Amino acid sequence: MSSPRPSRDRQYDLFVSLLTHNEPALRRFVRSLLPGGEGLDDVMQNVALECWHKFSDFVADGQDPQTDFRRWAFVVARFKTLSYLRDAKRRRLVFDADVIARLAAAAEAAEDASRDERAAVETCLASMAEESRRLLLSVHSAGDSVARIAAESGEKARRLYARLERLRTDLLSCVENRLAGRASNG
Amino acid sequence: MADSTRPADSPGAAGVSAEVRRRCLAAADGTISDEGFAALQDALRHDPAAVEYYLRASRMTHVLEEIAAERATDAVSPAPLTKTVAGSPRRRVAGWAALAGATLLAIPLAFFLWHDGEPAGEGAGIAAAASAGDGPEETVVGHATLRRAVDVVWAKGAPSYRGGALLPAGPVAFDAGLVEIDFFCGATVVVEGPAALTIDSDWAARVMRGRLRADVPPAARGFTVRTAETEVLDLGTAFALDVSPDGTFAEVLDGEVELRSSSGEAAETRLTTGQSRWLGEGTAPAGGGSWPGAADLEAKRVSETRRRFGEWKAAAAQRAGDAGLLAYYPIAAGGFDRVLPNEAAADGPPAAAGDGALVGMVAAVDGRFGAESAGLSFERPGSRVRTVLDGEFPALSLSCWVRIDGLDRRYNALFMADGYENGEPHWQIRDDGRLMFSVMVDDSAVVEHFSELEGRVVRDAGLHRIYLTPPIWDLSKSGRWFHLASVYDPAAGRVRQYVDGELVADETIQEKFLVESLRIGPAEIGNWGQPFRQSPAFALRNLNGVIDELAVYRSPLSGDDVRRLYDAGKPSDH
Repeated sequence: MSSPRPSRDRQYDLFVSLLTHNEPALRRFVRSLLPGGEGLDDVMQNVALECWHKFSDFVADGQDPQTDFRRWAFVVARFKTLSYLRDAKRRRLVFDADVIARLAAAAEAAEDASRDERAAVETCLASMAEESRRLLLSVHSAGDSVARIAAESGEKARRLYARLERLRTDLLSCVENRLAGRASNG
Repeated sequence: MADSTRPADSPGAAGVSAEVRRRCLAAADGTISDEGFAALQDALRHDPAAVEYYLRASRMTHVLEEIAAERATDAVSPAPLTKTVAGSPRRRVAGWAALAGATLLAIPLAFFLWHDGEPAGEGAGIAAAASAGDGPEETVVGHATLRRAVDVVWAKGAPSYRGGALLPAGPVAFDAGLVEIDFFCGATVVVEGPAALTIDSDWAARVMRGRLRADVPPAARGFTVRTAETEVLDLGTAFALDVSPDGTFAEVLDGEVELRSSSGEAAETRLTTGQSRWLGEGTAPAGGGSWPGAADLEAKRVSETRRRFGEWKAAAAQRAGDAGLLAYYPIAAGGFDRVLPNEAAADGPPAAAGDGALVGMVAAVDGRFGAESAGLSFERPGSRVRTVLDGEFPALSLSCWVRIDGLDRRYNALFMADGYENGEPHWQIRDDGRLMFSVMVDDSAVVEHFSELEGRVVRDAGLHRIYLTPPIWDLSKSGRWFHLASVYDPAAGRVRQYVDGELVADETIQEKFLVESLRIGPAEIGNWGQPFRQSPAFALRNLNGVIDELAVYRSPLSGDDVRRLYDAGKPSDH
C-alpha cells in the first residue's frame, strides 16, 4: 500500500466521496422530476456516469466542496433527466422543460431543509395504525396491493383508494408540522 | 374533498387549494389523470407555493417507496435482520452495485482485495471477495432491546430471545417470568408473564395479555400501548396495565396518560397520577399486589445468576476429573493472575503442564455470570494466552463459551496451535460469522482445489481441510454469550460442530484429509502464534470478545456430552 497511487485514483476517491455524500439529494431531486418515479434508477445511473466523465470540469470554488458539487451535479441531473424524457416518448406524465426549470430551482433551494424529512415520515408513519401504514405502503410494495387488502378485508377497493388519498394528505401534514416544530400527537 | 376532521392546514400548504394539493400528491405517485396533470403544470408555472407543495409531496412519496422496498428486502432475507437507518437506504447501495459493474468501483475494490489477503497461512488464497467490504454498510433491524429476562418460559410457537437480543416488529410471548424491554424511543417496559404482546415500532406496542409497567422519559413522550379496549398514549412518565381477556386495567403511577377507545368513537380520557380505570366486562379484578418493576427484576436476575454460578462451580469441579480431558481452563471461577492453571486432573499431563500464561493486554473482565465471575478479553491486538499441550491424540474436542463483540479480523482466533503443522488444529471464527475448525494434513504441499463455498479455485499453502459451519454470528448477536464446540473424530470419520448444544454442522472427513494422530504442542487461546515467521509483522487474529471455560479433550465428545456442557454452563438469560 506504500506505492504512490496515480492521481486518477485520488480523483476517483474524491469523486466517490462527493457523489456518495450527495447521492440521496440527487435521487430525491431526480425523483421529483419523474412523476410516478419510473426510470429513476436508469436516470441515476446516467447521472453518475456523466458526473464521472465530466468530473475534470468540476471546480470547487466556494467554501464547501460538498455544496459546490451538489449544485454542479444538480445541473447534470437536470439535463440527463430532460434527455431521458425526450427519448421516452411514450411516457404519459412528462413535465414541460420550463416547469422542470422551476422545479429544479426550488428543489435546490429546499434541499438543506429536506434532510430530516425521512425521519419525520418514519415518525409520522409510526404514529399511525398498522392498517393505515400497510395501506400507505401497499401501493409501493411488490408483495402487496390495494386489491389484495380489499380481498382480505372485504372492503371495497374504491373506498380504500379514497382512504389512501386522505391518509397521504394527512401524512404530509404531519411531516410538515413536525418539520415546522409544531409537532402534534395527531 | 374538504373534510372537517382533517388536521389544521400545515405551514407548507398555506395558500394552496385542496384541489392543487390533491393533484400534487397524485402526480407524485403517478396516479393523476392527464387533464389533472395539465392543470397541475399550469399551477406550477404560476404559483411558487404549489411548487413547494409538489416537491414535498414527491419527496414524501419517495421516502415511502424506499421504506416499502426495504421492507420487501427484509422479508426475503430473514437472518441476519438488517435494515437501513435514515439517510442510507439499501436501495441506493444496490444502485451503486450496478454502477460498479459499469467501470467505477472496479479499480479500488481490486486494490483493496489484493492487499487484504494475509501472509502465509491457511486461507492465504481463500477468496477475499466472499466477505470483504463489498456489501452495503451494515445495519441491524429492531425496534427494541430485550435488556433483561429472568426465569422466562417462552410460549410455544413464539420466538425465544436472550438477554441483549434485538427485537424486531412482531410477537413477544412468554408463559412465565419477567422481561424488561427498552424501546428505541427511550421507553422501558417491564412485563410479567404470562404475557403476549406485539412490538409495532420504536414507539408502539400492542398487548393482548400480561401485567406491565412502562416508564416513559420526556424524550419518549407519545409512546403508545394498545390493547383490545383502548390505546394508552403516554404524556409522561409512568403507567401500568393489567391486560386480560376480560379487559384492561390502567393505572397512572406518575404523570399523565391519554386513553382512547380502540374503536375511535368515544372521546379521549386523561388520567393523572394515582388515577386508574377499568375498561372491560363486569367489575375490575381485585388489584393483586404491586406492579412489576425494574428493581424486582434486577434483584431476581442477581439471585438467579448467583444460583447458576454456584451450580456451575460444582459442575466444573467435577468436570476437572473427566476422562479424556487434556486441558481445562474454567476461567469464570477466577482466582488466577498472570497464570491460568490447567485444572484437568485425571489422565491429563503432569502437574503444571498445560498452564496458560497471559501475555500482552489480555484482561480479566466480567464473565458470563456477571461481575462475580471472570472472562478473558482479547480485544487488544497483542492479547494472547500461551500454553503447551504435548502428546499425540486419537481425537480432539474443543469447547468454550464466547462473547463476541465484533469480528474485526478476517480470522478471529479461539484456540490455535502455533504455526500450522501436520496434525495441528486451528479453531477460529471467520469474519462472515462461520465457525471454522481445521487440521493440517501435509504442510509441505501446495494445493489448488475448487471451493464450492467460494465458487472458484483457491490455492492453499499446505494440504489441509477447513470445516465450516453456517454463519452463527452477526452484529445483532454482539455482546451475547454462546457455547461453541467442535469435535474431530477420526474413528467415526466425522467433524461435528455445535452452538449452544445444538448440532450446526456435521461433515464426513474425506480419506485424503483424514488425520489419525493429532497434536497441539505450543498453542494460544484468543490469538495465533507464528514463531517461525520471517518478519516482525504478525497476522492479527485476536478475538474482539471474551472467552470463558475452555476445554480440550483427547476424545470425541458425543452430542449428549456437548449438551451437558452447555446445560451446566449456561448463564441465566439462556
